Amino acid sequence: MTTPLLSLRDIKKNFGSAQAVAGVTMDIQRNEFFALLGASGSGKTTLLRMLAGFEAPSAGDILLEGASIAAMPPNKRPVNLMFQSYALFPHMTVAQNIAYGLEMDRLPKAEIKSRVSEILEVIQLGHLAGRKPDQLSGGQRQRVALARALVKRPKVLLLDEPLGALDKKLRSEMQLELKRLQHEFGITFIVVTHDQEEALVMADRVAIMKDGALLQVGTPREIYEYPETRFAADFIGVMNFLPVSVASGGYQGKEGPLIRATEAPELAGGSAAVAAIRPERLGVETQGENSLAGEITDIAYHGLDLLLHVKTPLAETPVISRLTADVAERLAPQVGQTITLGWSARDTRIFPA
Amino acid sequence: MTGPMTTDRRPMLLMSPALLWLFGLMVVPCLLILVLAFFRRGMYGGIEYTFTLENIALVFDPLYAQIFLKSAWIAGLAAGIASILGYAAAYAIAAMPRHRQSALLFFAVLPFWSNYLVRTYAWIVLLNREGLIVNLARWIGFEGELPSMLYTEQAVVIGLVYNYLPFVILSCYAPLSRLNPEISEASRDLGASGWTTFRRVVLPMTVPGIATGFVFVFVLSIGNFVTPALLGGGQFQMIGNLVYAQFLTANDWPFGAALSMVLIMVMLGLLMAQATVADRASGGKAGDNG
Repeated sequence: MTTPLLSLRDIKKNFGSAQAVAGVTMDIQRNEFFALLGASGSGKTTLLRMLAGFEAPSAGDILLEGASIAAMPPNKRPVNLMFQSYALFPHMTVAQNIAYGLEMDRLPKAEIKSRVSEILEVIQLGHLAGRKPDQLSGGQRQRVALARALVKRPKVLLLDEPLGALDKKLRSEMQLELKRLQHEFGITFIVVTHDQEEALVMADRVAIMKDGALLQVGTPREIYEYPETRFAADFIGVMNFLPVSVASGGYQGKEGPLIRATEAPELAGGSAAVAAIRPERLGVETQGENSLAGEITDIAYHGLDLLLHVKTPLAETPVISRLTADVAERLAPQVGQTITLGWSARDTRIFPA
Repeated sequence: MTGPMTTDRRPMLLMSPALLWLFGLMVVPCLLILVLAFFRRGMYGGIEYTFTLENIALVFDPLYAQIFLKSAWIAGLAAGIASILGYAAAYAIAAMPRHRQSALLFFAVLPFWSNYLVRTYAWIVLLNREGLIVNLARWIGFEGELPSMLYTEQAVVIGLVYNYLPFVILSCYAPLSRLNPEISEASRDLGASGWTTFRRVVLPMTVPGIATGFVFVFVLSIGNFVTPALLGGGQFQMIGNLVYAQFLTANDWPFGAALSMVLIMVMLGLLMAQATVADRASGGKAGDNG
């Protein structure tokens, strides 16, 4: 087995009496696009700053290709960070900003020049090389910041909320652009984000952080389809929760037939639990082991799909069922209508209450 | 009259008292001086209203030009020393936790609340032949005759630096405190040492503050006549003393006006240079568009 590119060993960070990072252990592989996903205050940015070298871990070690870098100052690490504020140097032109890091490496002038123009080509800003950051749009500044970090060809590129300041349309374009660049340069990307869609779209693997610890690490599909905790299930995407109690052979809701689940944790009989189902798995026409009747209270049109809010006897809040456009058109659901929703035992997740 | 027109006039209305003040007490006297400089001095003081360039020519006479250069040298020295000390102090203050910064700034500006003359006299007490500094040197064990520190060029420079240092601290603190810490971090991240980061990023971004402070101290120093009179003890003249003498003792108003005019030109030139520096460092909207 080869050594992982980056290895975090029980990293902890305290600020005074507050613990920002509470023991994180994980490996990141070469060429991986890794996302640290969490709400603000989850410790994800502190963890990133420790990787960049701006904070020293209170405990634990960081290994890069097997060697500790925990005590190495930021200017000596083969790791670069793209800052959330971009932190471009306002008194330098685009080309000077990008060349700065190469000048620090004392590369020959000719090589600096060719590498700067090469990367300007990649980010398609060659015509703006002489501009100052103030004269660029937000999207252009974002690409300059990216180029400035990428041009050093670091072993790991850290990105702090890289798309946070962009508008929605540009953001989805840049998600794919970042993926393309990561592939093209063959550099490991670690991106910190609070935007789950961003993490799911871009990353090969996602780590969910909460209260300074890793809650779950996995591929976007694993994270979405097989959340390991109720928090993760709730945090990623939309999830319907039905309170149930553990019975033999299934789970008993407030009324109605037993709810079946293919995979479930070992729970004591009679104990309280919740059944969780994604809206897109809960359909009007879906055939499955489970079914649930209720009244439509709201219909939300989203273009691509239609969300039905259905009041059922099993839960206080209406459950949400997601219909694709063609199904919605055929069924033409109305508010006030009573419908039966079905779903499969395979798509039911069970968590202790 | 339409709505937008009235709202457009409101700023002018608000500015007019200050503008009138400036015009009446600054622009008009300056113009008078400008005019005065081109008239002949009367036999017994007074002014003879005939056009002449003699006064202007006299300013560039080696005797007076030398005083000009001397004044510029002393003002430049004071401004240079004040800029270095002030920048260092401002840097230290800006690096402190936020809640301490305002208290420290308050202390830096505190001397301003006392009278300029009193503060200058205090330096006479300090620099005197039997003053505190000499006594301190004796107490430490220094023996023999100490050179007098009062009534020297150095004493004047010390007095000027001391009096105008708070200006530099304030003018340097403003850009230093506004600096996004991520900018310095980005420089470190890209491989620069702390010193290189300071030299290539922090200093160029805060140089307008230094330029403002430098020009401030220089302009206030070159025209100053109180400090050279008290701490220089009449050992040498600065341009301010010369102007003062022309108007109040020599009664040669036209020559005093000519000296003032050249002085004002020097100051305006410096202020324009400082504005250019500030403009270039702010990202250069008015700078190169290439």
